[in-house]
Amino acid sequence: MQVFSSIGSQLIDLCSALLLLTCFAIVAQRRLSACVDLFALQSAFLVLTATLVAYLTGNQHIYIAAALTGVIKVIIIPRVLRKVIDRLNVKRELVMYVNVPTGLLISGGLVMLAFFIAQPIIPLGSILTRDSLAIALAIVLIGLFTMIARQKAVTQLVGFLVLENGLFLGATAATHGMPLIVELGVFFDVLIATLIAGIYTNRLQDAFDSVNTDRLTILKE
Amino acid sequence: MLNLLWILLAGYGAGILLPLCLPRRPEAQSLTAGVPAIVATSAGVVLGLLGLTSSEPVTGSLASTIPLLTLAIRLDSVAAFFLFTISVVGLAASIYAIGYLRHLAGRASIATLGALFNAYLLAMTFVVLADNGVFFLLAWELMSLLSYFLVVTEHEKMEVRYAGLFYLIMTHIGTAFIVMAFLIFFQSTGSFSFETFRQPGQPLTEGMRNLVFLLVLIGFGTKAGIVPLHVWLPYAHPVAPSHVSAVMSGVMIKTAIYGLIRVYFDFFDGQFPWWWGFTVLFLGTISALLGVMYALMEHDLKRLLAFHSVENIGIILLGIGAGMIFQSYGLKELAALGLLAGIYHTINHALFKALLFLGAGSLLYATHTRNMEEYGGLLRRMPWTGFFFLIGAVSISALPPTNGFVSEWLVFQSLFLSFQIPTVFLKLMLPIAAAILALTGVLALACFAKAFGIAFLAQPRSAHARHAQEVPVPMRIAMGFLAAFCVALGIAPMVVVPLVDRVVAPLAGLSIERKVLALDGWALAPVNVEFSSLSTPMLALLLAALAMLGLGLAVALGGRLKARHYKTWGCGINLTPQMEYTATGFVQPIKRVFSTIYQPTVKLETEFLDESRYFAKRRRFEFHIEPIFEKYLYDPLVAFFATLAGRLKVIQAGSLHLYLTYIFITLIALLLLAV
Amino acid sequence: MLHSLILMVAQTTVLLAISPFLVGVIRKVKARLQLRRGASVLQPYADLAKLFQKQPVISTATSWIFTATPYIVFTSLLTAGLLVPTFTSQTPMNFAGNIIALVYLLALGTFFLILAGLDAGSAFGGMGSSREAIVASLTEPAMILSIFAIALTNGSTNVSTIVHKTALLEGIVTDPSPHLMALAALFIVALAETGRVPVDNPATHLELTMIHEAMVLEYSGRYLALLEWSAGLKLAVFLSLIANVFAPWGIATTMTPAAMAIGLLVYVAKTAALAVLIGVIECMFAKLRLFRVTDLLGVAFILALLGLLFFYILRS
Repeated sequence: MQVFSSIGSQLIDLCSALLLLTCFAIVAQRRLSACVDLFALQSAFLVLTATLVAYLTGNQHIYIAAALTGVIKVIIIPRVLRKVIDRLNVKRELVMYVNVPTGLLISGGLVMLAFFIAQPIIPLGSILTRDSLAIALAIVLIGLFTMIARQKAVTQLVGFLVLENGLFLGATAATHGMPLIVELGVFFDVLIATLIAGIYTNRLQDAFDSVNTDRLTILKE
Repeated sequence: MLNLLWILLAGYGAGILLPLCLPRRPEAQSLTAGVPAIVATSAGVVLGLLGLTSSEPVTGSLASTIPLLTLAIRLDSVAAFFLFTISVVGLAASIYAIGYLRHLAGRASIATLGALFNAYLLAMTFVVLADNGVFFLLAWELMSLLSYFLVVTEHEKMEVRYAGLFYLIMTHIGTAFIVMAFLIFFQSTGSFSFETFRQPGQPLTEGMRNLVFLLVLIGFGTKAGIVPLHVWLPYAHPVAPSHVSAVMSGVMIKTAIYGLIRVYFDFFDGQFPWWWGFTVLFLGTISALLGVMYALMEHDLKRLLAFHSVENIGIILLGIGAGMIFQSYGLKELAALGLLAGIYHTINHALFKALLFLGAGSLLYATHTRNMEEYGGLLRRMPWTGFFFLIGAVSISALPPTNGFVSEWLVFQSLFLSFQIPTVFLKLMLPIAAAILALTGVLALACFAKAFGIAFLAQPRSAHARHAQEVPVPMRIAMGFLAAFCVALGIAPMVVVPLVDRVVAPLAGLSIERKVLALDGWALAPVNVEFSSLSTPMLALLLAALAMLGLGLAVALGGRLKARHYKTWGCGINLTPQMEYTATGFVQPIKRVFSTIYQPTVKLETEFLDESRYFAKRRRFEFHIEPIFEKYLYDPLVAFFATLAGRLKVIQAGSLHLYLTYIFITLIALLLLAV
Repeated sequence: MLHSLILMVAQTTVLLAISPFLVGVIRKVKARLQLRRGASVLQPYADLAKLFQKQPVISTATSWIFTATPYIVFTSLLTAGLLVPTFTSQTPMNFAGNIIALVYLLALGTFFLILAGLDAGSAFGGMGSSREAIVASLTEPAMILSIFAIALTNGSTNVSTIVHKTALLEGIVTDPSPHLMALAALFIVALAETGRVPVDNPATHLELTMIHEAMVLEYSGRYLALLEWSAGLKLAVFLSLIANVFAPWGIATTMTPAAMAIGLLVYVAKTAALAVLIGVIECMFAKLRLFRVTDLLGVAFILALLGLLFFYILRS
């Protein structure tokens, strides 16, 4: 096991913390376009983290993964989402299942939970930093929570993408990156998922005149 | 010292008997009750101070013919401290009563009221002095009953009778729990003497200890008003005459704190698992937060103050709870610090809460209403009352350099020092408790800004307020006395800390006076001067000096321009008191932000003119907040017991023969059991 | 003793002198970003001088609270300012109080301002007071937690000790994340406490949006001057706190005149830089609705809490 300089691992921790911060910003943000921008920002931080990991471990294929993240998550997906938002003409989330301060408190609780869960795993070794795994887990949980708490299909999609970012961070931080082929597969999946969800959102708008997913309950009759 | 005790007893005795026996003129009666009470409480103050400074506890006992009951008293430093607190507040309340009782003339018998008040103070004194379980319970019960009688002084009002009954039931439930706890002690020691409780022949088992912990917490918690056992408090405390409210809220609930400290730190000798402390801390946090939140929504000044008692009990428990947690981890110094903070806050709360209740009584005296929306502009009409109430408000909002600030600061420090605890969970929970304490502190500030601002500032909101006059001299003296104490205890912690330390030292096992006081007593520096320090005398000095600077700047830069007086600009129309911000309006943002806790229901009915829907004829606005605990905890319980009682009605046939049969069967069963 | 006294006088003077300047910088930056020339950065000094010269008008509905409040607010903020290091890391009044004392001194000013807002009996003042109460109650928990998160790394809650130790690199070296989160939280708190966009707008006189301005609406003459100066002082206190706690570089850690001179220059530069940042933020963001402010302050609280969490996790 290679030992990294403490500065390197601190930088990775810092980047992971920034990822987590953007998560909180997404939870606190009501404007859909700002959510998408924040997601793009988060992905940019992810690229930074991945590049750092690649540099520190010397794993060449993580560079490729980072570059792919940059192209797909920082540029393509946000652009697709902005198009969807433009077409739907929904600017902000007015009604939420959980209001913002409560949502923040719950997210804070999720972070604590993630740290408590990750604590016994951390000493098992082969992890670059002490807390990026826990942060990754926290991001996954918050992403999932966002999907539950929000009504609009677009923010749910952002929640899903955040969740995926968390998974990617976990993968790079904990296992020095998955095999390249797996990562490529995941990227492809995410891209397709986004496109499908975009189309699905448009269809939802056409069918119900709304992108509130709770309208789907009408379908049962 | 025994002489002082006799003076105290004689004083209270005279205060009970004289008003009942002597002439029937109200003025004379209030004097015959008041003067002996003043003598007795003064003796109590001196006795408390002597007890605090003496090295050995004073004990005495009288045997009685009742089995198990020994009239044993013991004046150790803990008892002396609480005796001092009771007596100081009792002294102020007795002086106040001389002026205040006039207000009740015709509505209540002043002689009975005076006699009951003396008996009540005496019972409370015995609660803290008692050194025997049965004696303690006797005094406790007497205190509860007498306070009940005092609460229902104005019993012709329905509201008062309801509050009294509620109080009576709740306090007896509490007492039942304390009795159970003492019985468990009795079972293992065979005696009710507190001495044997301390050193039982055979120690209690682990399970029994935990049971006693919970029983005592519920029992004393009911009296102290810990959430969710607080529901009776905002009903009972406000309806009593104001000087009684002051004593009830200021010191009677502190006897419960005394009981908790006595059992946990004295009987159990500070040996307990961490979750005891955590439970106390948790309940303290909840009480502090919910107490102040409900206080904010209250526009009856005395009910507002009663809810603040719940809050402050919470703050005291935060200190004690933190101390208990530290104790179970063997962090002796910090345990002592937590206790010190809690006990310091105990006396501070007694002082400023009594002051505020006396202030509220003065407003009631002057305006005949407790509704804040009918006050307004009283600072110009009642300058003394207003000034003293302001000092009380500043103290309870924990603003420097008053006493509330010093003790709350100490509580903060003991919560912050939690980083020395080995478990991460508690390391995180204590700072969160500190954050909630900060929230509580600012909400209390908002609440008293509301109370003072709406009651004393701007223009009078009703005819009552317009015609208000300053209250009689004895009432002002009493308030001034307490206000002076509030300021003194704030800027002279170097005097208070050594005294409180004498209470804490035997409980925590070490004295931390030297650790807490730094720089020859000019600064407080809990445990470590590097970690934190506070010097209220210095802050007071700085505030005074810089205020001079401000005045100087104003004069130097502006000269002596005379201010012009003119009415407030009201956008071209004359301002009337109806346009002023009301208490309801003031707290509306808070109500809305914390709507999860309040569950408010707002009803707005508008009647329009027949001609047009654009003009309203009349508007009716109504809002109330959901009393969560009453609705979701007490109502189901009451319903359950009502159903149970309904079922059991079957055995109540009303036939005398049947009842005799019951007794007969019970007797046979008991006889068989005894064999 | 004399030494301390001189330092105290110096610090008071610096705070009094710099606060109008910082207000001026913010106004200038805003003006430039809005393509206006803007008044000189020294304009606030002239405003103060003018206000002191004017005859005050006092409402007949008011009591002595109204006239006493400007002095109390001014005094409490200056006292608070003496607890925070400015150009030297060893403030003589360090022992007089830690962060809790600082927070409660600020609260003392807030309390009397709220009272003064209610005193004149106009609905504007009451509205400002009511809003100030809710904003203050939401900022203080976040403020206490955020400074506590930093305090842990230095083993002290006295601001001056924290700064001194950080400047000498004596604190526990940890990862930067707790600091980062605490900084973000404290910055939001500073915006809210000093009444800046997106929480309050010091340039508005529209009743729907005012908080601080509504409370002081009835003031004029020297009283208004003192309150304006106090608002500037509050800004200076918060900016000094942020600048020196998170970036104490350059602050005078010794008592030599040279170090002090450098410290003073660096201090002015740092606080001015933060003032520029605030100006930029005021131009970039719109003022939030009052009931959206809770979201922002909720973020601040969570950030501070996370800072604390990270500190403990990283150390264990």
